[in-house]
This record gives sequence, structure tokens and C-alpha cells, in this order.
Amino acid sequence: MSPPERRATETLIEAATTAWRPRSPSGEIRAHPAWADLDAAGRLAAYEAARRLRRLEAARDPDGLSTTARAVLARLGRVER
Amino acid sequence: MQETLLRVWQEAPRFVPDGRENGLLRLAIRIGRNFAISQLRRRRLEPALIEALEADAQAAEDSALAPARASDPLLRRRIAECLRRLARQPGRALAARLDSGGFEPDETLAAGLRMRRNTFLQNVTRARQLVAACLERHGVDLAMELG
Repeated sequence: MSPPERRATETLIEAATTAWRPRSPSGEIRAHPAWADLDAAGRLAAYEAARRLRRLEAARDPDGLSTTARAVLARLGRVER
Repeated sequence: MQETLLRVWQEAPRFVPDGRENGLLRLAIRIGRNFAISQLRRRRLEPALIEALEADAQAAEDSALAPARASDPLLRRRIAECLRRLARQPGRALAARLDSGGFEPDETLAAGLRMRRNTFLQNVTRARQLVAACLERHGVDLAMELG
């Protein structure tokens, strides 16, 4: 992999680690767009990076919540059971 | 993950415990697995591959049921310390990510910091690496604490 290709992959991996997710028109949560552009190795790297980041977020949060948990809790108020 | 958690919340009122441990967590894993499989079917993956992934997921269920570690106050202090020591730009980028709680896309966070999206992402990467190095210098076993 050339240096520019490596940088592009690293950027995609970092982009995929955010807890922000796009929504479908019906409100269903979708995968991050960067996920679609990553190959199998890149997806595995993004998964590992996100897993570590969530642990870091939870360890730093006074309630022990990651940004994924925060995003879901924020959504629950808008979802009908 | 997020869609699974929302579906679990919607199913929870109808959940009837079967007497086994971690019933609700088992339900959550089942909902997550079924959702993932339906996504694979939608993408027309080979049925044999889907079956193999399903078997792997079944085998991994026990490790998913391991109890979560409680938040450690000392680790929290160390992380806060390492975040404070970050260079300005990586520090701002990672703080924006962490403080946004997943509400804003990176494009919005980057614009708020007057950075290009790629610069923002490179700063987040750099910040994660610096925090990891800082924690290791403080004797934190990253594999154990964040692995």
C-alpha cells in the first residue's frame, strides 16, 4: 500500500470510529458511510479502534457511558415502544 | 449496535424471564444477531457464509455475557490527566468527538473547530495514540483496561 493509500485508509478507519450514525428516511440507524469504503482488514481495524475508544469514553464518563450509549439514550426519548 | 439497543428497548416490556441468568442480555444478543443476519441477507451474501457467521456468533455468545468492568476512578483520573496534556489541536479534536456524544457528524465538529474534515480525523488519530502512550507511561495496562 502506498503512503497516500495508507493515509486514506487511516482516515476512513478514524471516520468509522465515531458514534454518530446517519438515519434512513424511516429513522432506522445506518452504518457509517466510511464503513462501506473499507475492505475487510480496514473494517477489522475500525472495529478494534472503536472498541478501544468506547472503553476510553466510558472510563472517562462519570456515569461510565460511552458515546454510543449517550447517542442511544438520546434517541430513546424519541422512539415509541 | 445502536439499532440493536433501540430494538431491545422496544422489546423489553414484553420480555418474560426464563429463569436463566442474564435473560435480557441474552435477548439483546439474539436481537443483535438476527438484525446482523437480516442485513447480510439483504446484501445477498451466500447462505453458506451467513450460516458460518451465525455459528461463529453463537459460539461467541458466552464471551459477550462476561460481566462489564465497573468504571475505575483512578483510571478516569489518569485519562483526564492524559487528555489535559494533549497538544492543542489533537486535544481539541478528541474533546469535540467525546463531548458530542455521537450527536454530530465529524464534518460539523471539524467546521466548529475550523479544521478540514481530514485534518480533524488525523488529529483524532494522533490524540488517541498520544493518550494511549501517556496511559502506558503511567503504568496503565491498555490491553487489560481498554482491550
